[in-house]
Amino acid sequence: MTVQPAEPAAVKPKRNRIENLEMVRKVWPWAFLVTLIVLFSIASQAANNVTFLSSRSIQGILLYATQVLLIGLAQTFVIIAAGIDLSSGWVLGFASVVAALVMQTLHAAGMSPVVTIGAGMLGGVLVTIVPGLINGLLIARVKVPPFIATLGMGILVEGVALLISGGYPIAKQPPYLGPLGNGSLLYFWPDHGLYFFNAPLTVTPAEAQAVIPLMPNPVFITIIVMLVCWFILAKTQFGQHLYAIGGNFEAAVRAGIPVKRTLVKVYIMSAVLAGIAGVIWTARFTSGAYNAGETTTLNAIAAVVIGGASMFGGEGTVVGTIIGALIIGTIQYGLVLLGVSPFWQYVAIGFVVILAVVMDQFGRNLGK
Amino acid sequence: MTPLFQAVNLTKRFGGLTAADSVSLDVNVGEVIGLVGDNGAGKSTFIKMVAGVYQPDEGELFFESRLVSFSGPREARDLGIETIYQDLALAENLDVGANIFLGREIKNRYMGGAIKTLNRTKMREESAKVLSRLDIRIPSLAQQIRNLSGGQRQSVAIARTIYWNAKMVIMDEPTAALGVTEQHKVLTLVRTLCDQGVPVIIISHNMQDVFAVADRIVVMRRGKKVGERFAKQSTPDEIVSLMVGAEAVHEMGVIPRALNGVQEAV
Repeated sequence: MTVQPAEPAAVKPKRNRIENLEMVRKVWPWAFLVTLIVLFSIASQAANNVTFLSSRSIQGILLYATQVLLIGLAQTFVIIAAGIDLSSGWVLGFASVVAALVMQTLHAAGMSPVVTIGAGMLGGVLVTIVPGLINGLLIARVKVPPFIATLGMGILVEGVALLISGGYPIAKQPPYLGPLGNGSLLYFWPDHGLYFFNAPLTVTPAEAQAVIPLMPNPVFITIIVMLVCWFILAKTQFGQHLYAIGGNFEAAVRAGIPVKRTLVKVYIMSAVLAGIAGVIWTARFTSGAYNAGETTTLNAIAAVVIGGASMFGGEGTVVGTIIGALIIGTIQYGLVLLGVSPFWQYVAIGFVVILAVVMDQFGRNLGK
Repeated sequence: MTPLFQAVNLTKRFGGLTAADSVSLDVNVGEVIGLVGDNGAGKSTFIKMVAGVYQPDEGELFFESRLVSFSGPREARDLGIETIYQDLALAENLDVGANIFLGREIKNRYMGGAIKTLNRTKMREESAKVLSRLDIRIPSLAQQIRNLSGGQRQSVAIARTIYWNAKMVIMDEPTAALGVTEQHKVLTLVRTLCDQGVPVIIISHNMQDVFAVADRIVVMRRGKKVGERFAKQSTPDEIVSLMVGAEAVHEMGVIPRALNGVQEAV
């Protein structure tokens, strides 16, 4: 008689402990964001009798978060590849200065606003390829640690932006730039209908008050960029290679992944995302400033960490970063709405970053 | 029968040191070869010449009866000589399928190839096929490698070489970091590989492993090949005395400690 081995069908696909812990690590930022919104809702209702969750405040948070989101996406890519890009904020300012200078010059020369704005925005974004490429080459070919290469590049780019702007904001921008940067994709006028891209012509202030702007242009662009980034990271070979490089550099090399080329590409991508953020800044404030992204880099890195990325590389997602950026945006916007001193936001964000890493470590240690 | 692979008088010098001195080896289909020797005996140097990492100073390599020479590991791999080092070269943050297809991902093409996406389903299916062909059981192919045991990782690394048509596999201490059960599984896998027509050269310190799995045992000492035995016609005692040098045993008049351990184990 032969002994039958134990029936494998009896084994249910049960979640083991490791998977449970991974769930906790994935879910907690969502839970935290929801908790945050609930707390702010209660607090603002109690303190000022203001509803926290309105179309206005949601759009406010999103608008607040666009810059951190765009730079956060850039950081997500480089951090997954076990790098970091400390030049982001300064590249952002550089792009804003270049875009503003181009537009100022063309506007003064009497070019049409469409051409002026188009050229300025394109110029601002494209010029960032230069620092991105140099970052990438230094890191991939010369093997300069990313921290040092991008730190140096950030300071250098700050200097260049200061030199070409003289340190002053660059005003005298073409018309339509402000409306473009501060307008919305849609306007809803109750009893009248939806208006696309341009606010409806209203007569009385009361009528103007009634029009609800939906989807600010910068938010719209950010959402498109987010979708593209998500696609690249989750669905393409390039994204997969970033995870492989961050997970095991040696293995990536031996598997024949074009590691150097991939790294150069990712730093160019990071810079271009900063460029997009810089151009959006210029459109919103109809000006260019070298320090437009001064505080953004570290907030963006914070968003990426809150979103579950590992600074050692190989881990992180676009969705995680979005949640991280929304948590930061909600804290900033919520505290302002409550009338709390804005200085508290630093304390709060710092706390959340540390909490995020503690949660991560906790999960990992328990998993062992 | 012509051997699949032949190394003839391979020599490698580093400065004044001759790390491998005129070492020859034939590998036939259907064979597992155990390559043994003490630390510094020249095993690694020899294997790296076979794998294309080092270029021999003297000697010739024949693969499938053709004279070959490798300027890098890539060329050896392209011919079908795969080497699995102790670190396995797996990306721990990726799943099994992603690792088997690392650097050679299967893609879906859209819009005439303008947009390409990863075909994870296909990669997992293909991985499942090659794993089952090798009798490897891994509960979930969507698991990250870091959640697998040492033996399972070793199996994934082996499956990867097989999927990409390895014709000969070199394994460096495959059982070194494993528990007893896992060691056994990996050795079974080595036999499976061999039965499916892929000969294996296995570097090991562990006499038990070597005798459990190898058909032929090649002993190196101080850069030279000092012996070659069929496992069935030899004993661990004989192999160890070849490894440490028979005269050493004789001179000391005692059985070296390594040999003592082996006798207890066998």
